[in-house]
Amino acid sequence: MEEIKVDKVMDLKGLPCPMPVVKVSKGIKEVQVGQVIEAITTDPGALADFPAWARTSGNEILKTDQGDGVIKIYIKRDK
Amino acid sequence: MDTQTREDLLKLFQSKLNQAMRLYLETCSRCGTCTEACHVYASTGQVKHIAAYRHEIVRRIYKKYFKGQGKLASALGEPKELTELALEELYEAAYSCTGCRRCMVYCPHGIDTQMLMSIAKLLLVGANEEPEILSMLADSSIEKGKSLDLFKEGFLTAIKNLESQVVEKWQVEAGQNPIPMDQEGADLLYVALAGAHSIIPAAAIFNAAGENWTLSFFEAVNFGAFVGDPSRTKLILDRIINEAVRLKVKEVCICECGTAFRVMKQLSGKQPFKVSSITEVHARYLREGRIRLDKEKFKDPVTYHDPCQIARNAGVIDEPRYILQNLTHDFREMTDDVRYNWCCGGGGGLVALGEDTLDFRMKSAKVKVDQVQKTGAKILATACENCHTQLSNLNDHYQMGMNVQFLSSMIAEALVQ
Ligand code: SF4
Ligand code: SF4
Repeated sequence: MEEIKVDKVMDLKGLPCPMPVVKVSKGIKEVQVGQVIEAITTDPGALADFPAWARTSGNEILKTDQGDGVIKIYIKRDK
Repeated sequence: MDTQTREDLLKLFQSKLNQAMRLYLETCSRCGTCTEACHVYASTGQVKHIAAYRHEIVRRIYKKYFKGQGKLASALGEPKELTELALEELYEAAYSCTGCRRCMVYCPHGIDTQMLMSIAKLLLVGANEEPEILSMLADSSIEKGKSLDLFKEGFLTAIKNLESQVVEKWQVEAGQNPIPMDQEGADLLYVALAGAHSIIPAAAIFNAAGENWTLSFFEAVNFGAFVGDPSRTKLILDRIINEAVRLKVKEVCICECGTAFRVMKQLSGKQPFKVSSITEVHARYLREGRIRLDKEKFKDPVTYHDPCQIARNAGVIDEPRYILQNLTHDFREMTDDVRYNWCCGGGGGLVALGEDTLDFRMKSAKVKVDQVQKTGAKILATACENCHTQLSNLNDHYQMGMNVQFLSSMIAEALVQ
């Protein structure tokens, strides 16, 4: 898979509910359409919450990486 | 506001008018007993934060459109037209009220401010004037219910990655799954939140107690309830009910989340399972001798903040105290009577609104800070994610120097193998 160009990194590790989704939904408005956010979290629930949020907000999850207890989710702003 | 919008909003208002609501709308005698009861008023001294002042806006709209001629009409204040300005006032009233219901305990008529504010919140949803964040979170939760298959695999992997941390807290037998999921025939379905801190300690305690349990795919919190939208509240609730029914569990145990517990307990209707808070389940394990705790683990004095939605509004009061008697030699009550405990100031969706409400949350909860500090305790335990966040924010803001803890994390730390 082609390397993903990241435009903004957001460290969301250890945040209480529902701050990871809240912060990403604000963060996405700070990048241009077509740009990508790399969200770093330790919440297993993010693996479900982020795709659901992306579907309702019209954005796209490009890839998720899991390892060492850290989860990286790459989100493209689509609109 | 155009006529059609107003008509639509009044239909929503009408949909809330059951017998109890009419009683709340028609019986306020303006005695003023609730004035000092609200932590917001007690902390800020602003008249607009008195409970009766909050409902007066709803009440006057009620008088204008639903109760023009009745014999009690004169007691309802001046009729108020439903306008854009009225919506702004409803927003101000509803989103500065945490729904803690402390005022209700003081009111001689038992008027429920939280219920009256639910009319305000529903009108705001109808007018698309509700906080966007809360609606977004509610919609995401509903979407998750619809597309479980899409995220199932990633979520299962993430849960698998937590297993070693669970085993660190409590060793399981060879071949035993430290975090079981999707187990049909399990006795208990545990509904957590997204964060690992809501899963790891809980899993260790279930394993220590030898519970036949399974972890839910869904998060417990109900943002439909925070935003005051009954149809979205139900859709979010139904995801968990359907999962519990599918897995044929006997008990649904809700994590440390006050709203999640109250909504599941009071709105899920008659079901083939019982609903418990995790605090009740932990107290039960202790009573039955299924877990043992090391009372020397936490040496500092401990106080406990009763989450309004778990204690005052859902009756879980003795259980945390029983746990604390088994967990510490130095437990200090904040109040003589839990029903009158101050709210932490973070409920009703205010914590979920994050930094947007931070300044208000800090100013409006000064009485809580004073109450906590009077105990002289060093550890501030609670059993709700919302309260924990708000108390941590207060701890930082007022430099209280407390160690804010989840009760369940303390139990997991003190487990005796
Ligand atoms: S429910 Fe709580 S926050 Fe709301 S008015 Fe009553 S005391 Fe104040
Ligand atoms: S205590 Fe009850 S009756 Fe008295 S002013 Fe407050 S809401 Fe009205």
